[in-house]
Amino acid sequence: MLELERLFKAVYLWLERIFNSLGIPHFWFDLFTMLLVALIVLGVMSFAAMFLVWWERKISAHFQQRFGPMRTGWHGWFQLPADGIKLILKEDTTPATADKPVFLIAPIVIFVASFLAFVCLPFGKGLIVRDLNIGILYILSVTTFTVVSILMAGWGSNNKYSVLGGFRSAAQIISYEVPLTLSVLGVVLLTQSLSMVKIVSAQEHVWSWNIWKQPLGFLIYLTAAVAEVNRTPFDIPEAEQELVAGYNIEYSGMKWAMFFFAEYTNLVLVCGVAATLFLGGWNGPILPSWIWFLVIWVVMWFRWTFPRVRVDQLMAFGWKFLLPLAFLNLILTGLLA
Amino acid sequence: MNLVKRILNGIYNLLLGMWTTVKYLFSHAITLQYPDQRWTMPQRSRGVVVLMTDPETGKLKCIACAMCVRTCPTAAITMISEKDETGKKLRYPKEFEVDQGICIFCGLCEEVCPVKEKAIKLVNLYEFSVYTKKELIYDMEKLTQIGKGFK
Repeated sequence: MLELERLFKAVYLWLERIFNSLGIPHFWFDLFTMLLVALIVLGVMSFAAMFLVWWERKISAHFQQRFGPMRTGWHGWFQLPADGIKLILKEDTTPATADKPVFLIAPIVIFVASFLAFVCLPFGKGLIVRDLNIGILYILSVTTFTVVSILMAGWGSNNKYSVLGGFRSAAQIISYEVPLTLSVLGVVLLTQSLSMVKIVSAQEHVWSWNIWKQPLGFLIYLTAAVAEVNRTPFDIPEAEQELVAGYNIEYSGMKWAMFFFAEYTNLVLVCGVAATLFLGGWNGPILPSWIWFLVIWVVMWFRWTFPRVRVDQLMAFGWKFLLPLAFLNLILTGLLA
Repeated sequence: MNLVKRILNGIYNLLLGMWTTVKYLFSHAITLQYPDQRWTMPQRSRGVVVLMTDPETGKLKCIACAMCVRTCPTAAITMISEKDETGKKLRYPKEFEVDQGICIFCGLCEEVCPVKEKAIKLVNLYEFSVYTKKELIYDMEKLTQIGKGFK
C-alpha cells in the first residue's frame, strides 16, 4: 500500500513552516492549502474522467470485437485530449429564445455538484478532504443538485423536447434516489456512523466487508446507482438510438462537454461510494482504491450487455420492486444487527 | 412462488448475458486496420479492367476482335482497330478505352475473350477512386500499364 498520507503530511508541514517563517497570517495559509487541495481533487477527478472516457471506448469496442480508437497515439490514448481540443474550439451556440443565465449556469451546477461530493470521499488512508461526521448524508444530498441542473438545462433551453427530456431525467433520478438512500442506510445501521472514514475502518479485513453482510443492499445500491448516473440499461435520458438527446439537446461545444464530463465524474463518484460503503474502501488488497475501477468496469460491462428498459418498465421496477426490496433489506438489517 | 421463480430466472438470464459479452471481451478483435492491414482478395474477385501483354514479345495480346465491345452490357469499352502493316490478316487495337465509372464489373468481356489466357481481364485491384469522372476513363496506355503488374 502506497503511503501517500505521509507524503501529503510532509508537504503540509513544510508549507506551514515556510508560511510561518515569512510571517504570513495563518488564515492565508489555510486558504492556500484549501485551494491546493481543491486543485488536486479537481485534477484527480478530471484525469479519472478522461481516462474513463478512453477506457469505456476501448472496453465497448472489445465487447464488440472491435479495436476502438487506434490512430491517436498508442492504442488511441491521445483521443480524449484531441476531442477536448476540438470541443473547446467548436462554436458554442446559445438558442435565441433561451433563458440565458439559466442556460449558462446549468452545466456549471452539474459539474459543481459532482465536485462537491468528492469532499467526503476517501481516496485512501488519510486522503480525504474533510471527514465530516455526516459524510454519506452530505454526499447523498449534494449529488441531488444534479436533478436541479438537469431541470435547469431542460428549462433554460426553452425547447419543448429538452423540457420533456429534463422532466424525464428528473423523474428517473428522483425515483432511484429513494432505494439508493435506503440501501445506504443498511450500511449506516451496521456501522452506527455516517462518517465515511468510520465506515471504512469498520471493514478492516476482507471478510468484514459490508458486502458479505449486505449482499442485497449492495445489489440495490448498484442498480440504483446505475440508474442515477444515467447509464444503460437505464439511460433513457440519453437513449442515443431512439431519441436525439434529452435535456442537453441545445448544448454544444464546451457546455456540452461539461455535461459529458460530469456524467463520468458522477460515475467515478458512485463507484467510489460503492467501494467505500461495501467493498472496504482503501482497505482493498494490494493498492488502495483499485476496487473503484473494478466496480466501474462492472458498470461498463452492464452497459454493453443489457438492452435499455422502457420508461414505464423503469418506473415500475423502481417503485414496485426496488423500493419494497430496499425496505425489506433495511428491516432485516435492523432486526439482525 | 411464481414470483421467486421469475426473479431467479431473470437473474440467471442477466448472468448468462454478461457471461456471453465477457467472452467476447477477451477474444480477439476481428477488425482489420485497413491501410496498414489489407484483405488478401479471393483469386476470382473482379476489380478494375486491364489489358494483358504477352510476356515474351512484350506486345498486347489483344487481337481487336471487338467481342468485348459488343458484349459489354453498359458499353464501357470503346475500341478503334487497325490492320497489321505486315499484310497478314491481323488486327491490333489502335485506341482502347474502358470507362471504369460505367463498368459494372460483370466480367463478361473476360469471359468472351477468344485469346488464350485472355487479353482483357478483371484483376483484383479495388482501390482506384479518383477526384473526377474523367480520370476514370482509362486509355490504352494506362490499361496496359496496370495489366503488367498482374499475371
